[in-house]
Amino acid sequence: MSETKIQKLTLVANDGNKIEVDRQVAEKSVLIKNMLDDLGDEQMSTEVPIPNVNDTVLKKVIEWCEHHKNDPAAPQDDDSDSRKKTTDIDEWDQKFMQVDQEMLFEIILASNYLDIKPLLDVGCKTVANMIKGKSPEEIRKTFNITNDFTPEEEEQIRRENEWAEDR
Amino acid sequence: MAPINIDASYRATPDPEGDSQSSSSNSPARADYEESDFYAGNNDSQSSIGVPTFQDMAVSEESCEPPANRLPAEVLIGIFSKLSSPVDLLNCMRVSKRWARNSVDLLWHRPACTTWVKHGFICRTLSLPDPYFAYRDFIKRLNLAALSDGVNDGSVTALQFCKRVERLTLTGCDGLSDGGLVGLLEGNHHLLALDISGDTQITEASMYALAENCKRLQGLNISLCTKISNQSMIAVAENCKYIKRLKLNDCEQLEDAAIMAFAQNCPNILEIDLHQCRSIGNGPVHALLSNGQTLRELRLANCELISDEAFLTLPPVRTYEHLRILDLTSCARLTDSAVEKIIDVAPRLRNVVFAKCRNLTDVAVHAISKLGKNLHYLHLGHCGHITDQAVIKLVQTCNRIRYIDLGCCIHLTDESVTKLAQLPKLRRIGLVKCSAITDKSVYALANATRRRHIHPELLGDHHSYISTSGGSSLERVHLSYCTNLTLTSIICLLNNCQKLTHLSLTGVQAFLRTDLEQFCRDAPPEFTEHQRNVFCVFSGQGVMGLRTHLNKLPLTHFDPTGTGPVDDDEDHTMTGTDHATLMMSAAALNADEDDADGDEELDDGDDNGGVSFNHGQT
Repeated sequence: MSETKIQKLTLVANDGNKIEVDRQVAEKSVLIKNMLDDLGDEQMSTEVPIPNVNDTVLKKVIEWCEHHKNDPAAPQDDDSDSRKKTTDIDEWDQKFMQVDQEMLFEIILASNYLDIKPLLDVGCKTVANMIKGKSPEEIRKTFNITNDFTPEEEEQIRRENEWAEDR
Repeated sequence: MAPINIDASYRATPDPEGDSQSSSSNSPARADYEESDFYAGNNDSQSSIGVPTFQDMAVSEESCEPPANRLPAEVLIGIFSKLSSPVDLLNCMRVSKRWARNSVDLLWHRPACTTWVKHGFICRTLSLPDPYFAYRDFIKRLNLAALSDGVNDGSVTALQFCKRVERLTLTGCDGLSDGGLVGLLEGNHHLLALDISGDTQITEASMYALAENCKRLQGLNISLCTKISNQSMIAVAENCKYIKRLKLNDCEQLEDAAIMAFAQNCPNILEIDLHQCRSIGNGPVHALLSNGQTLRELRLANCELISDEAFLTLPPVRTYEHLRILDLTSCARLTDSAVEKIIDVAPRLRNVVFAKCRNLTDVAVHAISKLGKNLHYLHLGHCGHITDQAVIKLVQTCNRIRYIDLGCCIHLTDESVTKLAQLPKLRRIGLVKCSAITDKSVYALANATRRRHIHPELLGDHHSYISTSGGSSLERVHLSYCTNLTLTSIICLLNNCQKLTHLSLTGVQAFLRTDLEQFCRDAPPEFTEHQRNVFCVFSGQGVMGLRTHLNKLPLTHFDPTGTGPVDDDEDHTMTGTDHATLMMSAAALNADEDDADGDEELDDGDDNGGVSFNHGQT
């Protein structure tokens, strides 16, 4: 093996499809980056299986990484990040996230698994924006969630948290 | 080489369809995060995304869940944490049991006691014998400042159940007594910060409870609590050894022994503010400096007993590298030798306030000049001995000054201001009562930006430096009682400094015009008739209004391009702009990128605009 780092990686989605990507793009995933750091280039020179993500989702995630490959590294400080309560999303990302709900959640799950924090962040903001201003029933409908509270329980929750209502 | 399997839990079940739906059976990491209690056996048909072929394929039952249910708890919490409005969080809580479990602590982390109605609901829930959730344990921050004037011991009775509070803010609750506060403190071992500033009934009883229970305390503000005894503060110092931030403003009852105790027991002190602790002498100041390993901010305004000795007795070899902010306003006994010593031992000071240290002379300013690029903020108001010579030297070495106040330094002339105008980052300048200055100073301030942006390669040629479009950085300019100023120079300033948000011209004859009154702020209510008549301060929209208005006036000598009468020729505008200064400005520009010290937005205590400047100076 030469001294120089390999510049291309082949990712293998869980359905066997292979996708070649620039190393810089793949390293937006902290999971992959750490793996490269740990195992060294030699070990990585062939294929990297991504067993938890299928081809369609993986391509979508790579598209995002491609677009953001030159972004400055996110601040290490987890704390300050989570305190940022803004749901502003930049325009490109907004368009990128205009997918059906199934895909949206697949992207979120994949970014969580691959440890791509900025993408996870955009995904969470997108879902948060879908929640904002909706009633509980509207939220359930939007996400197809079953109400497992008894009416008494739901009323108890509402009453105990009444201070949070707008008034 | 074989591919490396990066996940031991890789599921080998190939997906024959290859569509996004079926990928759900391989959702990342679900087994690890799913809450088994809730979803076990939940295979009801309603929650299925349900194409029949799915069931036929005999995939695991999880696949039939709606996609939202597949989100692990940590992701769900990540989503909820993006919601800032309590009502959105409450709506999430009501969606399902799982959503409730993952949103309730975010909602109760910092319950909004912003109105008495909300406060009542919160207290009612906390008093319930059998609530749906243990809400009291979720509360980490409590802030009653919005209700301050109505708070009494009864208002906090229900809040005493919350024993995991980390930040307790009771600013201005002067109806609160020890009876209420002790109840909040007892049994709470998590408290990190307590603010009871303005709670004037509080006595040592609360401080003893604090010392006994809250050993992790890091921040304490007891400003204006004048009933708290010296002895009880010694107990706090001896028990709360992790204290980092202390604010004891106006606690005139506190004596040296209390502050000494903090200096000796709390080596982590970062910031201490003893504004108006008039009984404090040299001992504690010396001890805070020599014991503090990380002291960053030391505020001693109006501690009038402090003298040179506090500093001159510091060992000559040690330096206090962490000290960034030093406020010695009205420590009137200090002389030049104290300042020289301070600068020697604290070479990285960034904010320096010696206002009303009336003994200081040019010698002190020369010492301050040694701070070089570290100095960002300098207040020397009322240091009336200072002359142009010292200011000129200061500007030459301290080219990163953003804020400078030289109010009432009556010897200063246009020579000083012309130099000050060249500071590339200057945002605020105070020259109140520098009555010798003329329009020439204002033109210098107005036109300075043109020479701040110099291409370094062109420095060798006097005539070829280029001015770029980079605007003036000036935001606040205080020129009250600079009686020589006229309209034309101020118009130039207004036109060239688009970031200007504050301009004070109280007592300047040229501006005591009825047509300008509409843009002027209202005089503070306590002003006398005479003070009102000369009051002339423009801020925010008023500055914009003034700019528009003055530009409409027919002024014969006014050149709207901004190269005013004094400043029409590049060569002669460079009075005092010798080659060295040009080099210096360019160096400052180039060094911008590595100016990593960040937080330059320091409160300059001047948020009330010109009021604080003009107060009582009529």
